[in-house]
Amino acid sequence: MRATTPLRLTASARVHSLTLADGQVSPPPDAAQVVPAIRPDNTPKRLHIVRRCLLSMLVLSVLWGALTDWRADALVFGIPAVVLGAAIAFLFPHPPHWRLSLRGALVFALWFAVQSVRGAVDVALRAFAPAMGLRPCFRPYPLTLPQGAPRVMFINTITLLPGTLSAEVMGDTLIVHLLDARTDLAPALADLDARIRALFALPHPTEHSI
Amino acid sequence: MLEIAAAAFIALGTLFFVAGTVGLLRFPDIFCRLHALTKADGLGLALIAVGVALLAGTAGAVFRIALVWFFVAVASATCGHLIARYARHGVRHD
Repeated sequence: MRATTPLRLTASARVHSLTLADGQVSPPPDAAQVVPAIRPDNTPKRLHIVRRCLLSMLVLSVLWGALTDWRADALVFGIPAVVLGAAIAFLFPHPPHWRLSLRGALVFALWFAVQSVRGAVDVALRAFAPAMGLRPCFRPYPLTLPQGAPRVMFINTITLLPGTLSAEVMGDTLIVHLLDARTDLAPALADLDARIRALFALPHPTEHSI
Repeated sequence: MLEIAAAAFIALGTLFFVAGTVGLLRFPDIFCRLHALTKADGLGLALIAVGVALLAGTAGAVFRIALVWFFVAVASATCGHLIARYARHGVRHD
């Protein structure tokens, strides 16, 4: 897990507070060295807000610049738009802390490309086939990934996998729509779950720490 | 050569759009139709984007095409989910 050098994208005090609340003993001052996988954050809250603000403004500026081909006169609209966009980002609930594994992201992107081709070819063949071979049904699947980016990624990726569509989230249960009831759902989704854990540098559910 | 490759990608992408539309017309219910739209059209757009990117002159244009693909992919998965959720609730209350 540590070999993947996780890249931190957004910072939040959430993981820190959880770690403090869960521990029966107060953590030693050098907790970061004792439990490297959790890595309590000692940066003050104000710094988190500044960092989050700067990050959203940086992303929005790059988007604006790319869309307008870096034209200086477009900044009349660009600067207010970037500031407004960064302000709107603060209206959303504070996102839970997450980080991305670079190697996990590359592996995931390749796998995702192959799967979306498979999914599209499967549905295209059914559309043109005289019999279509449809036996649609709904099936529940328990969500084990943490709230926030990993869970959203999981739910959205299911829709692109061959024959599956995420239809509804009810608490910690996802209702999946299947084109063919004969499909084996659980192994495919467990595989996707593991891939998303690798992407976000999350521990395996058996070593549960989040 | 590049033009031929680009044309092949765009033609293949169009074929997937046609497949998505045929699925939309032939599949029996709203959920199966969503499968056709989200998956086939998503790949169709990706293939057309690759074809157009091959013809694009500047890195900025390629980046903009990639952005278009990214936002449409995220929006189609999210909208598919929202429509499916709404349809399930509609069926339940009827």
